[in-house]
Amino acid sequence: MSIISVEGVTKHYSLGTQTVEALRGITFKIQKGEFLAIMGPSGSGKSTLMNIIGCLDSPTHGSYFLNNQEVSTLDGDELAGIRNKEIGFVFQNFHLLARNSALDNVMLPLKYAGVEKAEQVKRAKAALSQVGLESRMDHQPSELSGGQQQRVAIARALVNNPSILFADEPTGNLDSQTGHDVMQLFHNLHSQGQTIILITHENEVAEEAQRTIFIKDGLIESDIKKEPK
Amino acid sequence: MILQESISTAVDAIRANLMRSLLTTIAIVIGTASVIAMVGIGSSAQRAIDDSITNLSARTLSVYPSRGRGSKTVNTSPLVIKDADALIKDKEIQWRIAPEIRGSKTLKFGNESISISVIGARENYLSIQGYEVEQGIFFTERDDLARKRIAVIGSSVGTELKTSSKALVGKDIDLGGVTFKVIGVMKSEGSSGWSNPDEQIYIPLLTAADRVFGRQRVDSIRVEVPNTYSPEEAMISIERVLRREHDIGPGEENNFRINDWSQFTDLQKQATAIFSALIIGIAGISLLVGGIGVMNIMLVSVTERTREIGLRKALGATHQAILLQFIIEAVTLCIIGGILGVLLGSGIYFLIAIWQDWVFTIPFSAIFGSVTFSACVGLFFGIWPARKAARLEPAVALRYE
Repeated sequence: MSIISVEGVTKHYSLGTQTVEALRGITFKIQKGEFLAIMGPSGSGKSTLMNIIGCLDSPTHGSYFLNNQEVSTLDGDELAGIRNKEIGFVFQNFHLLARNSALDNVMLPLKYAGVEKAEQVKRAKAALSQVGLESRMDHQPSELSGGQQQRVAIARALVNNPSILFADEPTGNLDSQTGHDVMQLFHNLHSQGQTIILITHENEVAEEAQRTIFIKDGLIESDIKKEPK
Repeated sequence: MILQESISTAVDAIRANLMRSLLTTIAIVIGTASVIAMVGIGSSAQRAIDDSITNLSARTLSVYPSRGRGSKTVNTSPLVIKDADALIKDKEIQWRIAPEIRGSKTLKFGNESISISVIGARENYLSIQGYEVEQGIFFTERDDLARKRIAVIGSSVGTELKTSSKALVGKDIDLGGVTFKVIGVMKSEGSSGWSNPDEQIYIPLLTAADRVFGRQRVDSIRVEVPNTYSPEEAMISIERVLRREHDIGPGEENNFRINDWSQFTDLQKQATAIFSALIIGIAGISLLVGGIGVMNIMLVSVTERTREIGLRKALGATHQAILLQFIIEAVTLCIIGGILGVLLGSGIYFLIAIWQDWVFTIPFSAIFGSVTFSACVGLFFGIWPARKAARLEPAVALRYE
């Protein structure tokens, strides 16, 4: 069963009088439990594709089914609901709220989901345990290392049990050892059945995934599946 | 749930930029403080004025002579002691009558000589004026009828004669060539504006009429009316008696006039009300300026926190949730300003109340009203920045540098 189905998606931006075609017709499917990397040089349309699959933006044409639900026609607030429940984001620069504790940061998606306070705390603690930070949950981001901050962000992405874990250059701001640890965490999550999409321009990072889609000039250049190790 | 979260987020955001936030609220603080202080001062002043009217068991009217204009007979008959006696004899109203002769004479003691304002009065002068004798005694009705040459001096008269007022008690002084014995000193009252009771000398009315000034004409007659009568009733009675005394025929004008001093307190009340309205107007402008300041700082805050807004949206914050967060921040900022303003305004009013010896009461409605109004200012001026925040595209906001 495919969890994501993208059919003929295009995205046009108008810059003044010019129209920029960032995506020129993208079609692919992602199955539940896949570990996929999307690669491409800057300006390839990779970020635009990520915004659309991440429900941060809507395609100009084409359709996008997430869990068999057509999401390309949804309005802003409906997309917010989808992002909240179906997608967990991990960003290159962590995007933690500086003045909130790790626990509060992880609770944030649950607050927007309208989960009860006691349940929020319970689930946020569980998510932090999952990434090995149960002893650090009262710390503010500034009191955590980069790797720990990224793990808080991963806990936050996981806390609402999303269908997809979406990671945009997750190791881009980390040293190689910490980056490796974070990738290991992704592998663990993948082995538990989590669908993961990595956006990266680094080959080593993409190597970690089972399948790599290359984007160039707004089109899919290649879609390579590795044999499971 | 979202509301609670928004409030704590707002408080966090304000704490994060505490100095900036407090400076932003200054105009709101000043506006609210002005409202609270003025409402307090206004109500206390009003109360003080009301008390001065109602707490007195009586109110005082004054009768002055005036020329009857356009009357057929040239009415030269001025206000005289006999008029006062006629008023005393009239028993319709239980009033008290205090005729007064004023004039200026030279006062000599030893080698010193000064010009002094002389008041010829009856013994009821003290209680009607609310004056007190500090040393010695005031003259009595008997002294008056006997036209005794005795005097009570104002508290600073002695100093002007290069001695002390108290030292003059029991001494003989020369007033316009007549020898008087000083029998008392008045308590200091302070200047009342156009006359200073401390610099005057008080002698019995008939002594003044027959021995000093040689005239029956009085300068004024004070009429103290019990509060059970309205000043209008009293005026009609005074008019009736004096018109009869002065032989004024029907249709002729009065050759005297009656002043009701409470008219001045009405004016005073009006002045206070106008002043309060003015200050509250200024406070309104201050709140408006404060609101614009809050709007400005909220716009800055939205720009600064674009990435945070993007993140919140990515995590599932709806348009409404972001809108609410920033409106609540603006409202919280203004409520804090309002509360600080209430404290500042109460403080100012408290000091003034102590200084003026007023009762310190701030109506709850003023506190509630001004804080609520501040909140509304925040709501009004917070909407635009909040809408700007809520309308940010999450994908763009996340990448904002």
